[in-house]
Amino acid sequence: MAGICRSRLAEERKQWRKDHPFGFYAKPTKATDGSMNLLEWEVGIPGKTGTPWEGGVYKLMMIFPEGESLHHQDTTHRNHRNVSKFTPPLFHPNVYPSGTVCLSILDEEKSWKPAITIKQVLLGIQELLNDPNVNDPAQSDAYTMFK
Amino acid sequence: MSSDYELSDNEYYDEDDDEMMYEDDDGSASEMDVDFKITPSAKPKSYEIEYESLTQPQVEKLITQDVEDISGIFGVEPDVASLLLRHFNWNKERLIEKYMDNATAVSVAAGLALPEKAEPSSSRSRSTGSSLGLGIRRATRRNTAEQPKSGKTKILERVSPPADDQPFVCPICFDDSQTKTLSLSCEHKFCSECWNTYVTSKIRTEAEHWITCMAEDCKLVATDEFVKSALKDDAKTFARFQELVVRQFVSCNKNLKYCPYPSCTHTVSCPAGASKSALTTIVPIVSCGANASHKFCFGCAIDADHRPVVCGVAKMWLQKCQDDSETANWIKSNTKECSKCQSTIEKNGGCNHMTCKKCKYEFCWVCMGPWTEHGTAWYSCNRYDEKASIDARDAQSRSRASLERYLHYYNRWANHEQSAKLSVELYAKTERKMEEMQITSDMTWIEVQFMKKAMDEVFKCRMTLKWTYAMAYYLAKNNQKELFEDNQRDLERAVEELSELIESSIDPESALALRQKVTDKTVYVQKRNEIMLEDTANGYLEERWNWNIAVDGFDEPAEIAI
Repeated sequence: MAGICRSRLAEERKQWRKDHPFGFYAKPTKATDGSMNLLEWEVGIPGKTGTPWEGGVYKLMMIFPEGESLHHQDTTHRNHRNVSKFTPPLFHPNVYPSGTVCLSILDEEKSWKPAITIKQVLLGIQELLNDPNVNDPAQSDAYTMFK
Repeated sequence: MSSDYELSDNEYYDEDDDEMMYEDDDGSASEMDVDFKITPSAKPKSYEIEYESLTQPQVEKLITQDVEDISGIFGVEPDVASLLLRHFNWNKERLIEKYMDNATAVSVAAGLALPEKAEPSSSRSRSTGSSLGLGIRRATRRNTAEQPKSGKTKILERVSPPADDQPFVCPICFDDSQTKTLSLSCEHKFCSECWNTYVTSKIRTEAEHWITCMAEDCKLVATDEFVKSALKDDAKTFARFQELVVRQFVSCNKNLKYCPYPSCTHTVSCPAGASKSALTTIVPIVSCGANASHKFCFGCAIDADHRPVVCGVAKMWLQKCQDDSETANWIKSNTKECSKCQSTIEKNGGCNHMTCKKCKYEFCWVCMGPWTEHGTAWYSCNRYDEKASIDARDAQSRSRASLERYLHYYNRWANHEQSAKLSVELYAKTERKMEEMQITSDMTWIEVQFMKKAMDEVFKCRMTLKWTYAMAYYLAKNNQKELFEDNQRDLERAVEELSELIESSIDPESALALRQKVTDKTVYVQKRNEIMLEDTANGYLEERWNWNIAVDGFDEPAEIAI
């Protein structure tokens, strides 16, 4: 339940502070009262060197849905899954007009696994930037242009 | 060819038959007759099909049989054999072929072994004479040596006690107070709580029977045993898991079909209706056995009795009724558009001088030109291109005729459908009548059952009649169709007479006479229904029916004769 979700996210935060890939940042947002909101993270992904994305740091919001249902069986493991949103939305074939990223490791029906960490997700999104997946277009403009 | 489902208690397949075919397309009918023990008493009617209803445990028995075969041939644990079969969609021949070819690759692909190490932890014990790769056999032996046979099968999963030196922290929930961990042979350890949640959610919300390890990129699959231990005491979820496995098995075998009714777990085995080519000669309506109302077609997705119409035609008819193409057709043949404001106008009488109700535009219905040019002095419609006007009229009347024809059949179809829908009410009414009859006359409850019987028969016949209209719509016009329509007429008349009798008011004096009449009529109606169904069924076998439209599996119609 929420408890497990929060302890996992707190641990993720600890691990991230200990070690994270160069150029990335990820920190939980502050709630209005100044406390840390572990369910919403502000993250930045640097463009890979040698790609057109080089030099930029792309901002995303990572939102971890907290189970509203008290059925812990249904929600626990989903709680670790997150919705990542580029703010502002990015012009990219696999980014929805809302900014939400379409990536297999973020999709429960595809290759999302409970053990996937924030680090892995961010590295996955960085990879996606210059290597779009044409089979899962999320916005038509960028897709048709890319095709 | 081996025999199909031999449903005696202990033998499902010929043991000595290596091929163990699932389906034989050329349908060895004689064998099937032996295999199936149903067909109650009387000789089978030509419109009925032989089938067997299986309960879930019965299908599980078939599965166990397959699994045991494979486990015997490969010398692997039954759980492993089951996963291999599931990976190969229960296609035993392909599995055997591929496995003999390269057991390691198959094990990796099926999520039973880790790719790098190429150590198929799957294949342990019982070294049979089968031609497993050398490397595997070595590994097999090593494994056997290392862990002496422990009656219980712990091949793919290990329940490990917490490490001695430091407390185990589950990489998912980061809870270090967990004492029990589980892992597949990939040694990705997670706490049992997380496994439980994960497995439950996979089964419950995703209806997945193929549960992989929780670690990223790990393709290892959980065995039944592991699923069971991960679910702990949740027998309900495990039962659901088993149902999912059965469902996969059934969907992979074209001789089997799962009952489409909600939460029904029965399966029907009907080899006769399994091949697509058979669907032009038979209508495989089966019932799952759990409930008499669970009737469905083995050949198509219609979950009701659509006899006597074959699947292809039934589907076409339903599609036609659903499409609004007919509406468009009607509009096209009955209306014209105001040439100024484009509103659709139906002319239902009067002269050709039209005034649009909406924009007050005055025009001529014949040439659609403005009426001002038609003034008595220079009436110009006679100058209208002769040929064009004839063509236009022809097109309109043709379209109208085809529409009328469709509506004729559709109305009758809908009528019977409607009566069937009202049958619930009618049943209640009949029941009241039966009670009344018991009071007014001195008949007993058993003696008034004839009413209910008659109702049942009327309902059944209405279903038949309903579909006969779909059939008649597509039948090409010839003598056969006329015979068909004669049968249809006889049945319909009898049914209507019977329903009138049922609904007639009861007079205590004539109750006995009514009973006699209704019983007689019921028998007659039943007979007519049988004749109708039998004749159409025979017609399919004798290829008597010609369609006025191309139907899947039939010859193209020589000429469209409507």
